[in-house]
Amino acid sequence: MRKFMFFLLFLLVFLVGGAGAAEKEMKVGFIYVSPVGDAGWSYAHEQARLAVAAMPGVKTTYVEAVKEGPDSERVMLNMARKGYDLIFATSYGYMDPMLKVAKQFPKTVFMHCSGFKRAKNMGTYFGRIYQARYLSGIVAGSMTKSNILGYVAAFPIPEVIRGINAFTLGAQSVNPAVQVRVVWTKTWYDPATEKEAAKSLLDVGADVITQHQDSPAAQEAAEERGAYSIGYDSDMSRFAPKGHLTDPIWNWAPLYKKLVEEVRQGTWKSQSLWPGLAEGIVGLSPFGAVVPQEVRNRVSVAKNSIIAGKMKVFAGPIKDQKGTVRIAKGAAASDKELLGMTWFVKGVVGTTE
Amino acid sequence: MSPDILVPLLAAAVQSGTPILYATLGEIVTEKAGVLNLGVEGIMMMGALGGFLFSMYTGSPTMGFVAGGLFGALIAGIHGLVCLVFQGNQVVSGLALTILGSNLANYLGTPHVGHSAPGFGLLPVPYLSKIPILGRVFFMHDMLVYVSYFIPLLVWIFLRYTRWGLGLRAVGENPEAGSAAGLGVMAHRWAGVLAGGFLGGLGGAYLSLAYTHLWTNGLTAGRGWIAVALVIFAFWRPGRAVLGAYLFGGVMAFQLRLQATGTNLPSSLLLMLPYALTVVVLVLSSWKAKGGDAPAVLGVNFEPSE
Amino acid sequence: MLAIKITKKQEFSIWNSCFLFLAALAVSLGISAVLLMMHGKSPLEGVGLLFKGAFGSPWAMEESLVKAIPIFLCSLGVATTFRLQIWNIGAEGQFALGAVGATWLALLYPDLPAFLLLPLMFLISLAAGGVWGFIPAVLKIRLRANEIIVTLMLNYIGILFLEYLVYGPWKDPVSFGFPMTTQFSAGAIVGTIGDTKINWGIVLCLAFGLFVWIMLRYSRVGYELKASGENVKAARYAGLPYDRLVLSVMIFSGALAGCAGFLEVSANLNRLQPSIIVGYGYTAIVVAWLARLNPLFIGVASFLLAGLKVGVENIQLELQVPAAFGGIMEGLILLTVLAGGFFTQYDIAIGRKG
Repeated sequence: MRKFMFFLLFLLVFLVGGAGAAEKEMKVGFIYVSPVGDAGWSYAHEQARLAVAAMPGVKTTYVEAVKEGPDSERVMLNMARKGYDLIFATSYGYMDPMLKVAKQFPKTVFMHCSGFKRAKNMGTYFGRIYQARYLSGIVAGSMTKSNILGYVAAFPIPEVIRGINAFTLGAQSVNPAVQVRVVWTKTWYDPATEKEAAKSLLDVGADVITQHQDSPAAQEAAEERGAYSIGYDSDMSRFAPKGHLTDPIWNWAPLYKKLVEEVRQGTWKSQSLWPGLAEGIVGLSPFGAVVPQEVRNRVSVAKNSIIAGKMKVFAGPIKDQKGTVRIAKGAAASDKELLGMTWFVKGVVGTTE
Repeated sequence: MSPDILVPLLAAAVQSGTPILYATLGEIVTEKAGVLNLGVEGIMMMGALGGFLFSMYTGSPTMGFVAGGLFGALIAGIHGLVCLVFQGNQVVSGLALTILGSNLANYLGTPHVGHSAPGFGLLPVPYLSKIPILGRVFFMHDMLVYVSYFIPLLVWIFLRYTRWGLGLRAVGENPEAGSAAGLGVMAHRWAGVLAGGFLGGLGGAYLSLAYTHLWTNGLTAGRGWIAVALVIFAFWRPGRAVLGAYLFGGVMAFQLRLQATGTNLPSSLLLMLPYALTVVVLVLSSWKAKGGDAPAVLGVNFEPSE
Repeated sequence: MLAIKITKKQEFSIWNSCFLFLAALAVSLGISAVLLMMHGKSPLEGVGLLFKGAFGSPWAMEESLVKAIPIFLCSLGVATTFRLQIWNIGAEGQFALGAVGATWLALLYPDLPAFLLLPLMFLISLAAGGVWGFIPAVLKIRLRANEIIVTLMLNYIGILFLEYLVYGPWKDPVSFGFPMTTQFSAGAIVGTIGDTKINWGIVLCLAFGLFVWIMLRYSRVGYELKASGENVKAARYAGLPYDRLVLSVMIFSGALAGCAGFLEVSANLNRLQPSIIVGYGYTAIVVAWLARLNPLFIGVASFLLAGLKVGVENIQLELQVPAAFGGIMEGLILLTVLAGGFFTQYDIAIGRKG
């Protein structure tokens, strides 16, 4: 009896599947490390996927909350076997599994976000959100009165540390006395803890709160105490109508659409892409009403400077927390140094563990 | 520790402990009736989601809060059905409930992640909030925290002085005798399960309506399990539940504050504090208890003889 | 007046249990189909994709089998403690400790040849997991601490310990600061069987499964387990070594979960990172219960639940269903089986009462 049921189900699936395979179109797959609705990292990628899905002749799909490791390998294999042309994997831990799958499916193009291993049919990409963080730091440094800035952060991985450093450097560029205090929540999804972390920072005197989390809970805490706040990933102004300053945000759509076109035209090559402000992949959300014109001008100047290539965020001399010079005067941090950043700049109070 | 740090910490302990307090009190009522419900985490999650959705759609956080309780009771009702009617193993059913409730809440709540719902804001109590130290610690919170001050008292009165409460305890201690005396064992156990679920749901709704005004996947983050542990720490007494909840809330807030003051200790180790503390506290309680106020037939299904 | 007479059944029938399981599965699928409809997806298509993704092709079967290995091992251990009515919720933490132990050795002696390193890693993982099972056991027998809570708290502590190691002392110097250890040397990797993805850990599964089966059926310990599980007081009175049994099953259970951890980092991931924690410890409990604590059925149920997890990815891929869907099905299946157990354990007679 069971075998018959099985057979019936198979038949059904075959028929359904067959109906769909009518015309040839581009199939693009996305793998997310967290649920899409987190209003954070994966959400930003999802917004871009929707933009890609709107392109003519392109079909997209995604699988969310895929654990790094063998699970991700399986999902990518599944996609590749189903004849997907282009697959995006949006977390560092997908790197090795993706490489394995890429070797087995040379006709499929694989793009890995935030990694460094490549192959003939596998490239890497990332975004210089730290540039936007720097700009947000300028705003924070200008607006603070207590000179203590609070940073609610999830995990001490390089991009978070890099963001904290960039933010600090930005703030110090307008206010050298400023101090950035970091509290690690060790979670991407616990708004209650994130809020508590923000409160603990407010209790030690921070009057600007920013975060590297996936929810606006920290903003809520700041708003309740009448402090300023800077969000992340998307426009979070509605959570802190009075105290909202700005948010560093992602804008993956232009990059994704470009890559899809390249694969479609056959012009795609494997390379390490790391676009930033200049290409519009990262940016700042609109300023809150409380930000004075003078500060907005400062940000504009810095932004144009970065876009023109005249200024680099991590230009020396930069000392770490212990006072050791990590980036010499006149030099700028290389991409490699940036990608592997595990130390805090002077002015940050907190550990990297 | 200077009062500048201590007082906000105590205030944070109260607020952080409140959702756990609601859930712990609920589980006490359930266990007093002799039913073990390990599904508190799932109940809190559904309570959080239900409360959030209702508040969003009706615009009234109060309705949301009550709805959260009802959602919690509904989920607990499944446990009642499986264990009280179908004689399923209570431990396993509770675990299944946690898995179901948590995932169901995540699934149904997916379209609403990152949204905000009308919630409860800061409501300092007039006059009382001006008292030095105590004012900040107890009277500068939101409405739901103040409500939570009354619940332990209500539970205590219920269990000690009302007929239903006494009957509930009786069936938790000796259901055979209770049945012989004409007490509806099932009716009282159902009451315990549903009431416990309601309070647990309120605790969950607190997280999405007052502590934050948000919904995300996994909002409760294991607090339901802490509540189950605290029931034992509290010796099944409402008064001690308050102490336990605030203690645990305090430790959670403490490790964050320790970071904010610039410690060099690795945060992973600091995060272990609440859980390690729970084990220590549990061990000490069990050791000293010699039974304590544990209901005699906790976890054992009552088999109907007809 | 209508009266329902309920009496406990005297015998236990395997066919009843199988039928019950299938019926529970059907009910769960039905409810899940309704959920799919609520999200605007075709339920029939969804269920079809689930099966196809889990068992519908040779590679799907392979994937399900690979995923079944850690579930099986954890479940076997947990089932052993359940026989004694000891509720080990700590397989997750024991799994983590086993992985940590194996990693420690792999990092310490990367140049040892596989035939030396792998058995050592295996043994260390058993020891590490065993210790994590020992702690709640000793707290229970000496201080009457409730093992449900202790094992649960140790889960959190064990996982945090793992995180501490990969963010701190064991962090890979070439992985740009991401929380993971260096890749294991070739000697530390458990290989796969031939061309398939199935690693040699499956042999361990068979060995342990057989061991438990024999132990339960033919050894004195097995008898003592069953007797003590029925009634602790009576068993103690009869002189059965309850305390010793508690220690043994908890250490054994922890060791098995630890072994699962070793296999995961060695065979599947080739390094230690926090993402190995996917909830096998909790699924193990579901499986153990579904399988009525029987090693053979545990094998079947592990495969089915692993298939469920793998199949859900397929539904996600094709229908964009949220990831939580799989967990809902797990919970539903367990609850329906629990409820359905009523019908296999009791005779129900409906008659008239005067």
